[in-house]
Amino acid sequence: MPRNAPRYVLGGVGLLLVAVGVRQVFALPDPWDVLVWLGGGLVLHDAVIAPLVLAVGLLLAAGARAARWSAGARGIVRAALLTAGALVLVTLPLLLRPGAPPNPSALPLPYGRNLLIVLGAVLVLASAALVGLVVAGRARGGDPTPPRTETTARRKDATSPREDTTPQD
Amino acid sequence: MTAPTRRRLLPARPRPPSFSGRLHDARTATAVGRWLGAAFAVCFVTGLISHYLQHPPSWAADALPSRPVWGYRVSQGLHVGTGIAAIVLLLVKLWAVYPRLFVWPPVRSVRHALERLSVALLVASAVFELFSGLLNIAEWYPWPFSFVPVHFAVAWVAAGSILLHVAVKAPEIRAHWSRRSPGTLALPAQDGPDRRALMLGLGAAVGAVTLTTVGQSVTPLARLDLLAPRHPRHGPQGLPVNRTAAAAGVGEAALRDWRLEVLGPLPYSLTHAQLLALPQVEARLPIACVEGWSVEALWGGVRIRDLLDRAGAPPGAAVRVTSLETGGAYRIMEMGRTYARDPLTLLALTLGGEPLSPDHGFPARIIAPNRPGVLQTKWVARLEVL
Repeated sequence: MPRNAPRYVLGGVGLLLVAVGVRQVFALPDPWDVLVWLGGGLVLHDAVIAPLVLAVGLLLAAGARAARWSAGARGIVRAALLTAGALVLVTLPLLLRPGAPPNPSALPLPYGRNLLIVLGAVLVLASAALVGLVVAGRARGGDPTPPRTETTARRKDATSPREDTTPQD
Repeated sequence: MTAPTRRRLLPARPRPPSFSGRLHDARTATAVGRWLGAAFAVCFVTGLISHYLQHPPSWAADALPSRPVWGYRVSQGLHVGTGIAAIVLLLVKLWAVYPRLFVWPPVRSVRHALERLSVALLVASAVFELFSGLLNIAEWYPWPFSFVPVHFAVAWVAAGSILLHVAVKAPEIRAHWSRRSPGTLALPAQDGPDRRALMLGLGAAVGAVTLTTVGQSVTPLARLDLLAPRHPRHGPQGLPVNRTAAAAGVGEAALRDWRLEVLGPLPYSLTHAQLLALPQVEARLPIACVEGWSVEALWGGVRIRDLLDRAGAPPGAAVRVTSLETGGAYRIMEMGRTYARDPLTLLALTLGGEPLSPDHGFPARIIAPNRPGVLQTKWVARLEVL
């Protein structure tokens, strides 16, 4: 199988690296602790984070159908939700970390306030993009339904997929 | 076999969820996955660089390059910055392929079982690496194990299972690599614009988390540093620290009658005043922490090279540095020949023209080019020619 040889080499190297890692894990004082955390991450994602994101996606799709958003408007709202979710997620450890920071130069910023500022900027940019979309649509002589923006950048989820059965175009 | 018999042979299907979203397809997975793959490659390589700079195998200790001056700053800034960006990429990638978690039947063959197992390994290790890294830079350690060896070990599992995954999926990746690849063309054409909108949204999200955090390593962007665990201007003498004098147990008692001891063929010791009377050198060097933040500063002091020469050290000598710290993994630090001979490697006495503050290592600290911050030993008590 000369055509597939690079694939097998790549797969073999991959298995080798996995073996190197697994050997190190089992050389640790308590490998089972690590396995619990590895499994925990898997369960946290598959059972909590992903379903939550999909639920937001379904809500978004339902909202888009009810308000008859254009595909472009829905894309902007989805991008805003995705961005807001990502920002919340990377800031969460700084907000939730128990106890005082180990020294005055660690975690020195007002993260709650800063996060609100950044989310506000996302909201403003997304609204501007939606307004631009409507104006461009009017200029072309179309009659796009003005999208509603009040849900933008409010949700705390990592991604905001479109969950929609009806093709828009 | 008729349909009813078939139904009886299989266990009752527990009605897995159905997915109405249209972008859970191989083209989306490929388009997001290659960015994620690149991000993990950067994290793995920069992680190895950081690991071996900190724990060099003995044969390499004298060969580690002390240049470029900014080497570790860039490599570790990339490690943390790329890791933060990869959080968004990983979640979107997993969203794209999530319906595959519910394929029926769950296992078709031994090969299929192995493939699913490798994906589980990939997801678990990738989620763990990004999650543990994110908590580590926030100085939050909720797990019972030590971060460094576990983050290092699981990195190999993640890197290996990604390579394995790419090998398994190679035909599908090839079929969906570009907009005009055969697999992409077989997908509904109307999804194209929506997929591009999703990719733009993903770009916006990656851009937003990067812009608001990367200022902790890229000082010109410090004004945008709103959400990073460190800020380049926050700290004693306008420079962050990782370990304070109090945390290291270095108080006034430890500093009373301080003298620098230099052990070698011609041992000697010097008071602080005697050190200040030696030829002073200034060097503009970054302090770059393993947690990703870095700041350049102007350091002044005596060249380590000069101190070693005065002790009669042979030109190829390495040096062992001992701190006044009462404990900690980095109390004793060894520095190979390349760092010891570098004219920019200093026993620093001043920072920005002022005497070092206690938290920056008063009375004297090491500052060397292209080295992790934990090896820039503070509160130096002794140098030993090796």
